[in-house]
Amino acid sequence: MAASIRLFFRRAIRHSHRNININFAGSLGRSACGAGASPCRCFSDERSTHFGFETVPEAEKAKRVYKVFESVAQKYDVMNDAMSLGVHRLWKDMLLHVMHPQPGARLLDVAGGTGDIAFRFLDYVRSQQERQQRRVARSMQTPSWDDISNNYSTEDEAEPQESTAVVCDINKEMLQVGKQKAEQMGITTGLSWVVGDAEELPFDDDQFDVYTIAFGIRNVTHIDKALQEALRVLKPGGRFMCLEFSKVTNPVLARLYDAYSFQLIPVLGEVIAGDWKSYQYLVESIRKFPDQEEFKGMIEDAGFYCVQYYNLTAGVVALHSGFKL
Amino acid sequence: MFRHVLCKLATETGRIQLSVRHAPVLRAVASASVPLRGFSDGKDEAPPPPVDAALLQLLVCPLSKQPLRYEPETNELINEELGIAYPITDGIPNMIPQEARLIRKDAPAEPTQG
Repeated sequence: MAASIRLFFRRAIRHSHRNININFAGSLGRSACGAGASPCRCFSDERSTHFGFETVPEAEKAKRVYKVFESVAQKYDVMNDAMSLGVHRLWKDMLLHVMHPQPGARLLDVAGGTGDIAFRFLDYVRSQQERQQRRVARSMQTPSWDDISNNYSTEDEAEPQESTAVVCDINKEMLQVGKQKAEQMGITTGLSWVVGDAEELPFDDDQFDVYTIAFGIRNVTHIDKALQEALRVLKPGGRFMCLEFSKVTNPVLARLYDAYSFQLIPVLGEVIAGDWKSYQYLVESIRKFPDQEEFKGMIEDAGFYCVQYYNLTAGVVALHSGFKL
Repeated sequence: MFRHVLCKLATETGRIQLSVRHAPVLRAVASASVPLRGFSDGKDEAPPPPVDAALLQLLVCPLSKQPLRYEPETNELINEELGIAYPITDGIPNMIPQEARLIRKDAPAEPTQG
């Protein structure tokens, strides 16, 4: 009888691993790591975490994530377009639209990789600047003598605030791809590339107006550390924005989304990038990431205020935003 | 709904293309000076400072958060206090603590953190 019970438990555990139901698996994984009373304890006294649906020691996760992105770097943008049917561009545009940066803003894009957010940021800010200049020019159509004399005195401070974007990523290859893109687009100023760890940013306190992390935070081993670092490097009044795959609210769409994720995406990964396992990791890591409310709680725990989230595409992607006050 | 998405996609890419086309023109007009951040491909004489000053001022050591000193010969960012040097490859500073080089033999080896 004991044997049959053991068999039953083993089958139940195997079921839970295969079960795509996120909340159950997610809470199981987290409680296992937290309580420590789980099969993971066999890894000496290292904490373990999830790598997709696998359980790995924490030290290993960063290395494996690095390898995943190292192998997909060249085809990353193409794969994004293929997997999301181009919709990822709309998500990123939405991020910028909600961010609404003003000229002079400083952006830190963590896990920025190929620089999509940074390019959009620079574009947005420059078009804002042009719009402002046009507005000023239009209002100067019939200047008074006062206006003319003022204009002469302020002409030398041509661009008082230059917006800058810093792209930080743990992976050199992704940054190389991004740098090449920047050179092709002819962007020479206002953009910097740094290899850095989101859990230990190489920046001083109170430096940036906006911190973004788009589709990167689920790959970080210690999300709370990354959130604390974000709080540290932001100026008071600065905004934290995070785009990440999240839980689809509608159950019918959820089933469709799961089928699409698990059947189609790894196949696309194999065909286009020649890498099935990386994209298998990708869809699994999405399932392991906390849902909208839970992540909102984590952001609030780190010390951000006015935390809110917007569901994009029925919850496939969530845009979380918080302020450092 | 799909038509709307397609239209939006079309206009978005159109707008991005337009702004991208404008960007080089603006850049040519605006930037009088050729960027110091030169093309680091095969320069035999004194290579141009590959990292621009603004970024260097921004960077600190990820471990101690102390400012760093740029060393042009070895092209590294040096933290005197801890005795470590962060390399700069292709103009991109590598600020991962595990990738840093120890300068002093007796410098305390930093515990490698994940």
